[in-house]
Amino acid sequence: MVQAEMVEAMEFQELSYRHHVSGVPQTTINDGAAHVVGAVPEGNLLAEIMKVVSKKKSK
Amino acid sequence: MSEKLLNDDIVQQLKDVFQQLQNPVEVLFFGSKKDCEYCDDTRQLAEEVVATSDKLHMQVYDIDEHAEIARQYHVDKVPGLVLAARDGDRIIDYGVRFAGIPSGHEFSSLVHDLVLVSGRDSGLSPQTRSFLADLKEPVLLQVFVTPT
Repeated sequence: MVQAEMVEAMEFQELSYRHHVSGVPQTTINDGAAHVVGAVPEGNLLAEIMKVVSKKKSK
Repeated sequence: MSEKLLNDDIVQQLKDVFQQLQNPVEVLFFGSKKDCEYCDDTRQLAEEVVATSDKLHMQVYDIDEHAEIARQYHVDKVPGLVLAARDGDRIIDYGVRFAGIPSGHEFSSLVHDLVLVSGRDSGLSPQTRSFLADLKEPVLLQVFVTPT
């Protein structure tokens, strides 16, 4: 269920631009549902994923 | 293309690090003949890395000619690398991939990921694991990085 893709921002500038990448690393969840900037601890990333998943559920 | 990307020093370091590889890893490379500045370098880099351990294997695909396989592994960018586990003839996709050349800082991410996939353990906390085990919908994490 989980896909993790390392994207080299210089090579894929259009995608980086679309996701407003201004600093790296930036983790974009589900094609822009959320963004996490910096190398954050596991718990912080998990919290963001949880928000994205629960948001979708409540729709 | 006969010139090596990795010098003897790096090759030796890789051999040392890859002593910890536990299970076979299959690296799936996806390139393209069209407009792909870093495909040749990425393929060569991956080939040189894979050559440093007999636990590492590699398959080479073209994203256009092997579109079905690319789709199966969710590869939509070139150069693309999928790091998967190999169990006999079976390939187990953990959803770990690279889009673009893993050079500079990202070279260590590649090496680290190879070790992780080989260990078949994410290293995540029990809480994270239990949340992810109950996931009902796909989650795509795209980590934007620059090689420097």
